[in-house]
Amino acid sequence: MPRAAAAGLHFPACPAPPRCCRPRREGAVRAKMAEGVLSPGVNLEAFSQAIAAIQALRSSVTRVFDCLKDGMRNKETLEGREKGFVAAFQESLHSVSRDLGELERLSNLVGKPSENHPLHNSGLLSLDPVQDKTPLYSQLLQAYKWSNKLQYHAGLASGLLNQQSLKRSANQMGVSAKRRPKAQPTTLVLPPQYVDDVINRIDRMFPEMSIQLSRPNGTSAMLLVTLGKVLKVIVVMRSLFIDRTIVKGYNENVYTDDGKLDIWSKSNYQVFQKVTDHATTALLHYQLPQMPDVVVRSFMTWLRSYIKLFQAPCQRCGKFLQDGLPPTWRDFRTLEAFHDTCRQ
Amino acid sequence: MGVTCVTQVPVLEGKSVQQTVELLSKKLELLGAEKHGAFGVDCETYHTAAAISSQGQTGKLMYVMHNSEYPLSCFALFENGPCLIADANFDTLMVKLKGFFQNAKANKIESRGTRYQYCDFLVKVGTVTMGPSARGISVEVEYCPCVIANDCWNLLMEFMQSFMGSHTPGIPSVFGTKHDSIYSPADTMVQYMELFNKIRKQQQVPVAGIR
Ligand SMILES: [Zn+2]
Repeated sequence: MPRAAAAGLHFPACPAPPRCCRPRREGAVRAKMAEGVLSPGVNLEAFSQAIAAIQALRSSVTRVFDCLKDGMRNKETLEGREKGFVAAFQESLHSVSRDLGELERLSNLVGKPSENHPLHNSGLLSLDPVQDKTPLYSQLLQAYKWSNKLQYHAGLASGLLNQQSLKRSANQMGVSAKRRPKAQPTTLVLPPQYVDDVINRIDRMFPEMSIQLSRPNGTSAMLLVTLGKVLKVIVVMRSLFIDRTIVKGYNENVYTDDGKLDIWSKSNYQVFQKVTDHATTALLHYQLPQMPDVVVRSFMTWLRSYIKLFQAPCQRCGKFLQDGLPPTWRDFRTLEAFHDTCRQ
Repeated sequence: MGVTCVTQVPVLEGKSVQQTVELLSKKLELLGAEKHGAFGVDCETYHTAAAISSQGQTGKLMYVMHNSEYPLSCFALFENGPCLIADANFDTLMVKLKGFFQNAKANKIESRGTRYQYCDFLVKVGTVTMGPSARGISVEVEYCPCVIANDCWNLLMEFMQSFMGSHTPGIPSVFGTKHDSIYSPADTMVQYMELFNKIRKQQQVPVAGIR
């Protein structure tokens, strides 16, 4: 009796009985399919018997719970009722343990499936006869190769990134960040007033550059920077981080039809498309997560050097044009003008 | 609208206007420029009528011009004077004003040709005709991204040298008065007016050069 009770406790929450008893035909089919390839170590006869034993075990377990569910049947005396219930319960538990023993016996006979396939059981996918419709196996191999490569490259990249002290986001922070783990999140929730102040100070710093700040979509600021009569830049901010920047001509429209800043369409001119590319590169270059205001100031200082976009010859080849474009690159340190292909 | 330079290219010795235009076009195409439609600029001359000039004013010439780049506009210019940009139906107004302004029909001059695009440059090579005769070749080069003439003059010049060689012009006189104000379509029309005036005064191209 104590054993039976313990056994009963070990079958928690069997789902609805009909489901348990559903014959597992798929298993049998797969076993048959594997026939040709599985090593001789697998006893197919025992395999199908074992499957039958599992079915038997499931249905006897179902009977145990049925018995518990139905409770005591109507008998004349209380004693009779208890006796009948205990007997039925014991009987069904016995059959569970009998079926379990049978399954254990059979499982020893089944033997181990072959392990000489390099992909183990997933190698069985290659047996699928309709390759064209379900190319799972080749996809699997492909995915495996990719994930191997990905892991390798990710390892290399993480090694390189950990050598850099300037990083853009918090997730990849190395040792230095662990010392000051709180620094990064706070810069993302700077009060708008602080952002306004930083931008205003930059605006006053450069007389030839005017910065118009707006917040059309909640707290994130958008800047429209007008540099002399040369170009306009739309800067999308997230707190004090610059998320996106688009450079357009001075005479180009920077608004959408409904009067909002157009942060998606690119310039019609190749020269400004090129400068947009370089500005995006600059965003990645100027990074100092602990001091976002310095980053914005550095970026704006770099941007200001485009005031001579059409006037400065290339510092390398001395010419104004190359492939129809003026020197669109500005060195991050010296701010000197170079053609895209003339920079070192 | 960017910054534009309009100039005349002389007809090559021993070649016709047509042949010289073809040669220029070939050079542009070799450079990588692509054909992008046609263009036309025309100019009509109006004399101020006797009624006004007899009152002591010198007979001024007024030019009414059209540019296919601005099909809805009409430009009215005085030499050294203001340039008026009006709607295209300004022409009908001029007909009504014929008591004051007389159209010198024989003086009508125009330039027509092909538009080329190269990177952010727009190049228009045109044959200048007056009546039935070809009188010369005009080349207009526009650098579209820039709006300040003096900012991009060196760059424009370097580009023109690449296909015009020694015929690259000096800085247009309109650039001199612009300082850092924004270049406008009227500045281009002034350049065409000056070019047409220069060509009108030139000797007719020898008969062999026509057509
Ligand atoms: Zn260069």
